[in-house]
Amino acid sequence: MPINKSAYRRYKVIDSCLRNKMKKYPTMQELVEAIQEKLDISTTPNTVEKDLKAMKLPAPDGFDAPINYDSSKRGYEYLDPDFSISGVSLNSYDIDAIKEAIEIISSIGGSRVSEKFSHAVEKMLSSVQEDLPKSDRERKIIQSESISSGRGFEHFDLFFSACRERIPVNFAHYSYTNRTFKSITIHPIILKEFENRWYVIGYSELHNSLRTFGFDRIYSPLTIRKEFIDTPNKIKEEYLNDVYGVYPLRDGKKEKIIIHTRPLISNYFRSHKVHDSQEVKILERGDAIITFNLVPSMELVRLFLSYGNQLVVKQPKRLVDYIEQNRDENAR
Amino acid sequence: MRDKTLLLELNIIRRPNTNLVVLRALLDKEYTRIDFGYIATNHFIKGGWIRIAAETYLKIHGDDQKYKLTHADNIPIAPDHFNFQSNKDWQFFSLYFDPIPQKNMMIDIIEAENPDANDFNYYGIELNIENAVEILNIHY
Repeated sequence: MPINKSAYRRYKVIDSCLRNKMKKYPTMQELVEAIQEKLDISTTPNTVEKDLKAMKLPAPDGFDAPINYDSSKRGYEYLDPDFSISGVSLNSYDIDAIKEAIEIISSIGGSRVSEKFSHAVEKMLSSVQEDLPKSDRERKIIQSESISSGRGFEHFDLFFSACRERIPVNFAHYSYTNRTFKSITIHPIILKEFENRWYVIGYSELHNSLRTFGFDRIYSPLTIRKEFIDTPNKIKEEYLNDVYGVYPLRDGKKEKIIIHTRPLISNYFRSHKVHDSQEVKILERGDAIITFNLVPSMELVRLFLSYGNQLVVKQPKRLVDYIEQNRDENAR
Repeated sequence: MRDKTLLLELNIIRRPNTNLVVLRALLDKEYTRIDFGYIATNHFIKGGWIRIAAETYLKIHGDDQKYKLTHADNIPIAPDHFNFQSNKDWQFFSLYFDPIPQKNMMIDIIEAENPDANDFNYYGIELNIENAVEILNIHY
């Protein structure tokens, strides 16, 4: 269970008392007074007694603090004189940097990842008596797409663990394209976020190849006891690096793709590469010939279509046909 | 083996109406869970509705015992209905029955004794325990 912020602050005071070489073996009354004085709050021996117990708990609930009551000295001590609940020392620059990072991460979505991160950082900052920035009370200066909502995001933790621990997962899957349900077992290797949606990529037993599955189409994922089937690195790298987006078209082979863009659109491609393989050749009137060496994907098609008649696909022929077909369907 | 929850992948499409799929069977010492996928059709303008009869049961071939429906997830028990919003909708749902043995067997799922094409009846589902895998973690 997470430790609350005010408890952390009391722990820090208790910790400093127990480490004070000038005044060893503080009594319960002295601990109570130190907390009241340093934190400007009222507290009771009962609360401090509970704090001492909590600090002795093993991580992550406590700090595994070797606290002992020495009855002959009538006071408390650390059995290990070098012990401190703040294992790291942070200067003001470190603290400011951490606070900024927290704000950025919170802006990126307030997702489960940032929740966990915030809790961990809160624990660390509390040890130096610093509070987390109260972003909700402050002027918002970063706006980004939220990644915490959407059907299927609740599967994040399960798939994250399955990827890390290399555990196969079985789930029910609904395909939007084919309108079919299937039970699928995958050997997951990576989670991918693209355009604010989450996907799991892994070897699918049913397809006998690497596949991508959107979290929003996955139902009831179950981790199963089965030998993990790994995918050779070369295949993984091709699949992960040579694709713009997540869903490669049919055979998933890397190809040279050439597009022609009008001047306005050329600027967007010049300022931000769609893929590492992108090369832009600017023509006299500001038009551009742009080449890519990657696997055509549904997302790439969607990107090209989004520029309307400002962008024309020149090569390969198969992609040209596919895009024309989709352009016609979109126009209906 | 009995204390483990076993998973069997099935992927069996109902006939003649092919818009219902039995996806998986989970065999636990306390329950039997069957997962289904239902795809709405253009038989109905807004896709129609689904529900499951409270009397639905499992039957093992060569055994007269009826393994009763105990619980349903994502599908209402009749007379309640789940109404689709369009004929392009879909629904994943699970039916829980009394526990059946963890052994090779053939089962039927019976919603209606005298079914029509819309009832969720399945016959001759083969459960081959050699193909079962143990579930490590169940997330609902």
